[in-house]
Amino acid sequence: MSFEVPERQICGFIGPNGAGKTTLFSVISGAFKPTAGSIRLRGKDITGKHPARLVKMGIARTHQVVRPFRVLTVVENVRLAVHFGRKKVAGAQSAQEQAMEVLSQVGLQNKADLLASALSLGDQKRLEVARALATGADLLLLDEICGGLNSTETRSMLDLIQQIRDKGATIMYVEHDMKAVMSVCDQITVLDFGQKLAEGKPHEIQNNDAVIKAYLGKPTLESGPGA
Amino acid sequence: MKPSLLRYGKLALPFLVLMAFLILPRVRDDQDLIRILFATFVWTIAGIAWNIIGGFTGQVSFGFAVFYGLGAYTAALLINAGRNPYFAFLGAAGIAMLASFLVGLPTFRLRGPYFAIATIGVTEAVRVIMSNVSFTGGASGYRITEYGPFRQNEHYYQALVILALAVAISALVAYSRFGLALRAIKQDQDAAAHLGVNPYAFKLWAHAIAAALTGVAGALHARYNIYLDPSGGPGGVFAFQTGISILLIPVIGGIGTVWGPVLGGAVVGVVEEWFTVKFPSIHLLLYGALLIVIVLLEPDGLVGLLHRLAKLFRRRREDTGGPRADKVLWGRSRLEGREL
Repeated sequence: MSFEVPERQICGFIGPNGAGKTTLFSVISGAFKPTAGSIRLRGKDITGKHPARLVKMGIARTHQVVRPFRVLTVVENVRLAVHFGRKKVAGAQSAQEQAMEVLSQVGLQNKADLLASALSLGDQKRLEVARALATGADLLLLDEICGGLNSTETRSMLDLIQQIRDKGATIMYVEHDMKAVMSVCDQITVLDFGQKLAEGKPHEIQNNDAVIKAYLGKPTLESGPGA
Repeated sequence: MKPSLLRYGKLALPFLVLMAFLILPRVRDDQDLIRILFATFVWTIAGIAWNIIGGFTGQVSFGFAVFYGLGAYTAALLINAGRNPYFAFLGAAGIAMLASFLVGLPTFRLRGPYFAIATIGVTEAVRVIMSNVSFTGGASGYRITEYGPFRQNEHYYQALVILALAVAISALVAYSRFGLALRAIKQDQDAAAHLGVNPYAFKLWAHAIAAALTGVAGALHARYNIYLDPSGGPGGVFAFQTGISILLIPVIGGIGTVWGPVLGGAVVGVVEEWFTVKFPSIHLLLYGALLIVIVLLEPDGLVGLLHRLAKLFRRRREDTGGPRADKVLWGRSRLEGREL
């Protein structure tokens, strides 16, 4: 499998369960070392680098299963990312301000002083995004950040993603909600069993035979047209 | 948060207690009390140190006797070489810190309980080595010769100042970005790594700070006691039991909090120094009973208990919206994120 992610775009990654989307993210973000192949960031080889190093180089991820620091407050969660992210911050005060700024971007400013464990799942997903944003990354790996959100929440999350892109970041986005993916992505890559099945613009993917087959199965006599 | 009388009181209390201890020897010339207090201060310093790596960072070590003992021996050697005692304290901190890297470099690469297990092995190894090397007298122990009169109050003040320093370091760590990273590592080191924190490096440094402070505690012990016992028995600086006593201080007082080890140190100091004399045959039994009571009834230690009491007294004006921030460090540590 080989692909490129153009800058300043939202690139969707879809595929059936077990296709390897999250694994792909784990490899890019440095959580897993690939056994073969290479990853390049603007032409520079970053294969197998430590996640913390990659954050300093501008790559941040969210987790599909949320992983907030439960016994830290919401703003502390984000401040950690500000402190140890890509850019140096002047001091505790300015780190706090930056963290609050990111929190109001995702709409959590009123819950800043709660412990992260007190948040609802939807808010914890927001917190995931806020932390990734707060690192100052320009390549964001967002893993199912809309899972478990209702339709209004999903809408505001998608708006947020587009805002982030418009500010100049590149986004790799995994999501199961097709409507969300189709509406927000500039380009989509379809994975199946760790292989690339197809790539292209959203409408091209929607009409791709291989993709339909992977999702719905092969048409057979019993279930196919004319049966 | 509004500045309230209670909040100022909270900040002023430590200073008042410090002042009280500063003037105590002038008001009451009870040399036995001073001795017990001195020993308690030394234990508390080691407990505060342990809490930095074991409490804030969640890396449980059974091996702090190594740093305590190495600090004690380093100080002893330097004092016998005619060096200034303060220089000896610095030397003790340095050697203990070096030792902490030797333990941490291989073990912090591993996940799970390996660090904790390794610390047990290291304690035993160092004890056996120190009982066999000749330049410190091997198993027969080491004697310190310092010229000049022995003034107990001088030791007392020295320990008190270093204790105050240890509390300050602990608070500084807790409220800095370094401490924030440590607390994040304790809860989920992978998530911390994905936000730019290198867990390996932070664990190493937290361990080093803890070891240095423990080394100074050992040095205080050495200078006061004049004779160092390398055996595994009670009172032996390298004894496994010494490491356990240090570990129990934050456990009893409240693990992962700034004031927990201070309160715990008071308890362990009194138990170690006073029970041992008062009830020599059953002091370990009392110790065990105390520990069981605390672990069963209040896993967050004395700080947790105080917090519960405080809650009973003021059930008012708690604004809604779940648990708040300042309770985490000052009060309950909420151990759900614990990882051994």
